[in-house]
Amino acid sequence: MAVTIIESCVNCFACEPVCPSKAIFESKPHFKVNPNKCTECEGDYPVFQCASICPIEGAILNSLGEAINPPGSLTGIPPEKMAEAMAELQSH
Amino acid sequence: MQLPVLNEAPAAKGGCSASSCGTTDNQMDTLPDSIREKVQNHPCYSEDAHHYFARMHVAVAPACNIQCHYCNRKYDCANESRPGVVSELLTPDQAVKKTMAVAATIPQMTVLGIAGPGDPLANPERTFETFRRLSEEAPDIKLCVSTNGLALPDAVEELSKHNIDHVTITINCVDPEIGAKIYPWIFWNNKRIKGKKAAKILIDQQQKGLEMLIAKGILVKVNSVMIPGVNDQHLAEVSRVVKSKGAFLHNVMPLIAEAEHGTFYGVMGQRGPTPDELQDLQDSCSGDMNMMRHCRQCRADAVGLLGEDRGDEFTLDKIEEMEIDYSAAMEKRKVIHQAIQEEMDSKRLEKSQKAEQFKAEPKLATRPVLMAVATSGQGLINVHFGHAKEFLIYEASPDGVRFISHRKADQYCGGDSTCGDGESVLQQTVRALAGCEAVLCSKVGYEPWDLLEKAGIMPNGEHAMEPIEDAVLAVYKEMAAAGKLDAKPEALRASA
Repeated sequence: MAVTIIESCVNCFACEPVCPSKAIFESKPHFKVNPNKCTECEGDYPVFQCASICPIEGAILNSLGEAINPPGSLTGIPPEKMAEAMAELQSH
Repeated sequence: MQLPVLNEAPAAKGGCSASSCGTTDNQMDTLPDSIREKVQNHPCYSEDAHHYFARMHVAVAPACNIQCHYCNRKYDCANESRPGVVSELLTPDQAVKKTMAVAATIPQMTVLGIAGPGDPLANPERTFETFRRLSEEAPDIKLCVSTNGLALPDAVEELSKHNIDHVTITINCVDPEIGAKIYPWIFWNNKRIKGKKAAKILIDQQQKGLEMLIAKGILVKVNSVMIPGVNDQHLAEVSRVVKSKGAFLHNVMPLIAEAEHGTFYGVMGQRGPTPDELQDLQDSCSGDMNMMRHCRQCRADAVGLLGEDRGDEFTLDKIEEMEIDYSAAMEKRKVIHQAIQEEMDSKRLEKSQKAEQFKAEPKLATRPVLMAVATSGQGLINVHFGHAKEFLIYEASPDGVRFISHRKADQYCGGDSTCGDGESVLQQTVRALAGCEAVLCSKVGYEPWDLLEKAGIMPNGEHAMEPIEDAVLAVYKEMAAAGKLDAKPEALRASA
């Protein structure tokens, strides 16, 4: 039972100090979670602390491998709108 | 757009506002002496000081505790120049080394700020470690910090220990309804909070932090991002509130939003203000707003004079190799600062004498004119048109000459004969100067000359190496004498 930080992490350090179990550590190319230490905040907080401050949608997964902050949930940008803008950019 | 005039004059207001008096450089007349003394040589607060003194930001603060719709934490590009963007995150130790390396190499660097790329006060250990060491090891450098304000009340005590006399708070609203359209979430008391509730907490913390700083005697500047249709009408109220609580300066900056930045506003097509809209709002906050018209909204790791970035000379691998003898550097810095001070004092005196002289001349009845100027500092016209990275915009009118703003230009001429799309970049530059009737630079090539003329902008290379205000005034008088400026009252800006 542990969360995972994946490659979309931008190394912003926000999650590291808020983890109650000190399970998050700086690493290359991005921050990682020690699965032996991570408690998913159980007993400390009702919500994942790392995923509550993380600014990047999709960067932290729960133990089922699902994004805790799915696309659009943090920025408010509808995913299709974001895809449109990025496609437009790439065509240039 | 008409907004009420906001400037509830502070008690020590000097008797003339920017629009009614002599020439441009009465930027600080509205400030009490004690504050003026602190800010008049600060490159970010003083238009003339920014031509001489340099600043730097160290990027030690990566984490943020809120999300703003104009920010995207994914971005990290060397070609981007805007707040929140950096290339290399520093530890406090690296930041101290870098600061001292820059101070020794660029003795005009007098101000160090921590501005991100996240929120400095959401990284209190890294931020305060940097300040603590710098105030001990490099006591001749002024320290500044900027913040979104959420963690400010808890940081005021610590800030007051480090001899930090300037704090900038970004306050975009005092109304949670509006805040909910700018801030999608905050991290607060171990929860992510969204919507109006989040905005209300943030606003309350900002206002509380502002009051606490003022009570401690720490100078507070307030930055606002002008977002048309979201908070543009509301910023008048923000200005009134923060000034009544004691902020010495309110700086309204234009929204930067492009789809390629991947920000909410960029992707959703929110536009930034036009130069006219920005100028109207800044004019309506007349007086102290003049002090920030030269603000370049610089990167969280910028180094050098405003408008330039010498960060590449001070990358981590380069500063590792530098041997810095700071006490020797401090001696040298002192001498150079003294010389700059004398030069600035004599120029300030000369300027005020010229202003007096101008006031004594018969007043012209001509309309105001905007002119663009290419300069790399020292208050002189000293840059070739094709080499200018930006242009400073001045307004000449029967009241004199005043600095209005700066506009970015892409350098179309890099000295490379093979530049393929050079022409379109040149056209962009000409477009960026829309509304100006003349451009003053040290030299102009034939090709831009033609394009400028066709666009109704008179190129002028006759005042190379002359002081900007003198040259602008001389060109204005020539235009007046040639009958190009017969007053058309309906064309006059309300502010001029």
